[in-house]
Amino acid sequence: MNVLVLSGYGINCENETLHAFEVVGFKGKIVHINDLIQNPKQLNNYQVFAIPGGFSYGDDTGSGNAMAKKILTNLYDQLIDFSLKDKLIIGICNGCQILINLGLVPSLNKKDPEVAMIENKSGSYECRWVDVKVNNNKSPWLKNISILNLPVAHQEGQFMIPINLLKSIKANNLIGLQYINNHKKLAKGQFPFNPNGSKDDIAALTNQNGNILAMMPHPERAFYHYHVPNWQNSTSKKFGDGYKIFMNAKKFFA
Amino acid sequence: MTNTIQILSIEKTGKESSLQKEHNNKSIKIIDGYFFSRNLDDQKFTKISKLISNDVSQTILTKKNVNKVLSSYSNFNWVVEIKFLPGVTDNTATTVKEIIKDNLKSSFKSFELGSTKIILIKGRKEDITKISKNEANPLIQTIKIYPFKKYLKNFKKNQFKIEKVKLPKKKYSKKEINLDISDYHLSLIGKLGIEENDKSRRGTLGLDLESLKTIRNYFSTIKRKPTDVEIETLAQTWSEHCKHKIFSAKIDDIQEGIFKKYIKGATEKIIQLRKDNFCVSLFTDNAGGIEFNKDWIICHKVETHNTPSALDPFGGAITGIVGVNRDCLGFGKGAKPIANTYAYYLADPNKKYQLYRQKNKDPMLPANFIAKGIISGVRVGGNCSGIPTPQGNVYFDDRFAGKPLVFCGTVGIIPKKIKGKLSHKKKANPGDIILMAGGRVGKDGIHGATFSSEELDPNSPVSAVQIGDPITQKKMSDVIIRELRDENLYSSITDNGAGGLSSSIGEMAKESGGFIVNLEKVPLKYNGLYPWEIWVSESQERMTLAVPPANVKKVINRFNARGVEATIIGKFIKKEKAIVKYNKTEILNLDMEFLHEGYPKLNLKTSFPKIKKEKKKIIKKSSLIDKLHKLLSSPNIVSKEFIATQYDHEVQATSIIKPLQGEGRVFGNATAIKPLFDDEKSIALSQAAYPQYAETNPYDMAGCSIDTAYKNLIVSGANSKKIAILDNFCWCSSDEPDRLYQLKEAAKACYDYAVAYQTPFISGKDSMFNDFKGFDKTGKSVKISIPPTLLISSIGVVDKISHLTKMTPDEDDILLVLGNTRNELQDSVYSKIIGYEKAKNPVVNSKDALRTYRNFEKANKLGIINSAIGIDLGGIGIAVTKMAIASKKGLTIDLKLKNKISVDQFLFSETQSRILVSLKKNKLANFKKIFKGSDYTIIGKCTGSDVVEFKDNKKIIKGKILDFAKSYKQNIKGL
Repeated sequence: MNVLVLSGYGINCENETLHAFEVVGFKGKIVHINDLIQNPKQLNNYQVFAIPGGFSYGDDTGSGNAMAKKILTNLYDQLIDFSLKDKLIIGICNGCQILINLGLVPSLNKKDPEVAMIENKSGSYECRWVDVKVNNNKSPWLKNISILNLPVAHQEGQFMIPINLLKSIKANNLIGLQYINNHKKLAKGQFPFNPNGSKDDIAALTNQNGNILAMMPHPERAFYHYHVPNWQNSTSKKFGDGYKIFMNAKKFFA
Repeated sequence: MTNTIQILSIEKTGKESSLQKEHNNKSIKIIDGYFFSRNLDDQKFTKISKLISNDVSQTILTKKNVNKVLSSYSNFNWVVEIKFLPGVTDNTATTVKEIIKDNLKSSFKSFELGSTKIILIKGRKEDITKISKNEANPLIQTIKIYPFKKYLKNFKKNQFKIEKVKLPKKKYSKKEINLDISDYHLSLIGKLGIEENDKSRRGTLGLDLESLKTIRNYFSTIKRKPTDVEIETLAQTWSEHCKHKIFSAKIDDIQEGIFKKYIKGATEKIIQLRKDNFCVSLFTDNAGGIEFNKDWIICHKVETHNTPSALDPFGGAITGIVGVNRDCLGFGKGAKPIANTYAYYLADPNKKYQLYRQKNKDPMLPANFIAKGIISGVRVGGNCSGIPTPQGNVYFDDRFAGKPLVFCGTVGIIPKKIKGKLSHKKKANPGDIILMAGGRVGKDGIHGATFSSEELDPNSPVSAVQIGDPITQKKMSDVIIRELRDENLYSSITDNGAGGLSSSIGEMAKESGGFIVNLEKVPLKYNGLYPWEIWVSESQERMTLAVPPANVKKVINRFNARGVEATIIGKFIKKEKAIVKYNKTEILNLDMEFLHEGYPKLNLKTSFPKIKKEKKKIIKKSSLIDKLHKLLSSPNIVSKEFIATQYDHEVQATSIIKPLQGEGRVFGNATAIKPLFDDEKSIALSQAAYPQYAETNPYDMAGCSIDTAYKNLIVSGANSKKIAILDNFCWCSSDEPDRLYQLKEAAKACYDYAVAYQTPFISGKDSMFNDFKGFDKTGKSVKISIPPTLLISSIGVVDKISHLTKMTPDEDDILLVLGNTRNELQDSVYSKIIGYEKAKNPVVNSKDALRTYRNFEKANKLGIINSAIGIDLGGIGIAVTKMAIASKKGLTIDLKLKNKISVDQFLFSETQSRILVSLKKNKLANFKKIFKGSDYTIIGKCTGSDVVEFKDNKKIIKGKILDFAKSYKQNIKGL
């Protein structure tokens, strides 16, 4: 089991993302996008392709756009190939924004992005912990998970989805995660439970196959129990909720 | 055919709604514009537009649709167009250029491009003028306001223009400066700069008459005239910013100066007493280093960026944070930045101070514009660099109206050994190549070092502003830390900050002997820079490396493969000479000794200042609960949550004690990160400054800063033997004897308390002239000086996860105050908000304090302490309510008073060295054993109810936690 963790041009969560994969049993490598463009064949050595969080190109021209355009120009066909095999792709935060801008999720029609990531309703950057629930979704990334407590940290985390598309996303069950309030009910857009004002409290989307997950919260930052706020009061002793996402990837190949 | 791409968001953006709300006008729309220097044909326009926009959320304006699209939003009648001035860093434009280059390859090249913000409004011209004032800074941006009709005309006729750098294309010829002139003319050179052929002046050099005479003497001994480059270089190298002349000067009878005697002296004394390996690298490098564990070193550095932030708050602050990041990259062989810290000392953002640099013109930016700009500058700098920013604070006082203080700090980590060699040692060897990596050089920040040493007056050069580009720096930093360093491919490294190449190369060359630089090799942002400008420019995101010739090709290739430029610009030599050439003409040739040590040493005298007594203010009659609410909601105590949530403190997955603590999210005064996955040790961080105590007693002020910064780490669970501190002196009018007296007193306290606590200074910085000289709105001349401010930053190692404390008690816990409470309300938050009581200023008794701290540490390690919070501003009263807000659990406080002090004195005095703790009942016996002979008072218990109650002899006064939380979480007016 090998994971390729992408880096370069302002991506910045590659170390902790790789670490999370390694702890659950993957072997992995951080690969600079320029090296991957030089030698795209190396993708064959990996089962998981992870785009970590960060600030690729400083969010200029819209978060994730510039990096998505670089991939589109130089790596798109290889990535499509990868996604059509029995392999997994995950994009976290900036990685999520990149996957959305590439149109790899929800990918109900082809190539052009169908969804946009826009600025948080609050107008400001939000670094805070949220609760999300797994919608009835068949993605291997989300199997047997009900609720997760994870941090978000973004300026542009609002999923903007045209109404008709939202209908088919729901019909196809592609909503991965939704923000919930302190009563474990959908946040209904209420801040700070829904930190960015996303329609239908969407925090993650998948493709139809379920093997690609684009999520705004950071599972790698909720990996150990001491990552969780006020962990001193908690009884859980080893891992945080983010661990479950990485374990699911392992189970998929086990 | 068009020369512009303009994009607008279909739905209302966050920025648009905040503008609409702020100006109570629903007809405001913002367009992202890109102006090109050449025309795009229809095919290119479509292609590029698609590359830089998103058709789901945005609309691209075209000549055909512009009218229809915009009229569907409103009937706009005014437009404001905001562009960067030529030469100012335009990060968005750089990204767009890269996208185009990558996608269109050579089919579309040699073009210039500028990003533009276009705001449309329906309203009166006054409205748009007001908006433009809030949204743009004339120092770095051009602002054009014109009717909407003209905008449509511009659109149809391709009349949008990009701002290009226009520099005279003159051939450079070596310029020699005649210093054999009158004292008057000589001092003009120092104050206004070197005279150009057209009689204009280059801008202040910050050299006094004595320095200029020293330079004249040197050149008369070597029998030639100095070149302009030589004078510029000496001005940079000798600046207060680089040489810290005041700290190294003889002062009264202190021959060696206060730095050597009190700061370095304290550390040397401590090292001598401790005999351990805790201190690794002190004072000599870009940051100070201490031992983290047997394999790793951590370093810390805190810088100020005050003057640039007064002129361009966003640019000043972002440059401050990415600049101090480079200090870590330049520590030893290069440490990885793992945490940022911040501290802002600002004027009240809700007040209008209306200050002018010149009579009736050149206004200071409004206080709220400065505050907002600084807060967002550090946000963008930190977040974009992927470095967590957990630790910070903000303090407000009117005396920061003329100059805000912006402290930016970074913690770094580096393996002790790299390929078997000590990583904190570095040495540029003769023959090593000088490599400049990262960004290009432009006119940014010319004269930054010399000008930050001067007071802010009408002649301050406006080109002394830089804007950081965190992504360029991140790319460069990744190559250095992840690839080059661990293969040991270079022998030395340092950052380019103040003074640019002149300073970085000059400093590094001390390791080899000297240097030869060929300035024409330096890559430039645009043509037309004079050699002296290239040499002293403070363009950001650059590191200078000393690379053995055999590795140069490899190093350059590695940088290039990651999209980073790296250029050979010279070599280090053995001969102790500083030599700079431009197209083979030698324009600088100085002895290294003279360059670094030739400056005239100051001889300072101090005198006892008139003490400015706190103004008496009548005590407002109000209830205890009311007083608590007033204090909780006062700007210096109120929660800074709005900053904590916009600064990413979770990136790198190291955050273990977060800025917001407890379920009730109280803004803590210390935070901790756990930097290594395979070691349970953490790094605790805190900081403290008490400018409000400075005028009364600068010695005690410094003592309080050290005590608080140290105490906060003890409370967080740090090992007392592994705490180090940093000093940042921000002073005012440091040429006046009474200010120097205060400085000497503060420095003396630094020595006394650091030695008493055995906590070494590992790094420091000073900024000596934080004064504003200008005019008020009536044209009357005013001088506003900051109160002397000493920021002490503390960094410590927490050995075990179980040692980390929390501030939330559990039901039935007993509450205790450790340490004695005295009537020390002078200059307190209470006396400012509620009223004056006859009282003393807080004085730290280090013996008592240490007893409390050592016992606390012991008890905490044994698991006796259940929760703890350091008592500072607002005293016990505020500490108690914060505990209740954080835990959402009620407390009851018994007001048993000792030492004949009143209830208010007991609750609100700011006596130092106190900790509020809670214990489980069954731990009390063990607690008493440890604390035998130490001052503590049991003050109550945790009830778990929804109120905080205070029991006086007869009556019980209650306040709801929810109400307290509301006051504590109020918005700061004006922000």
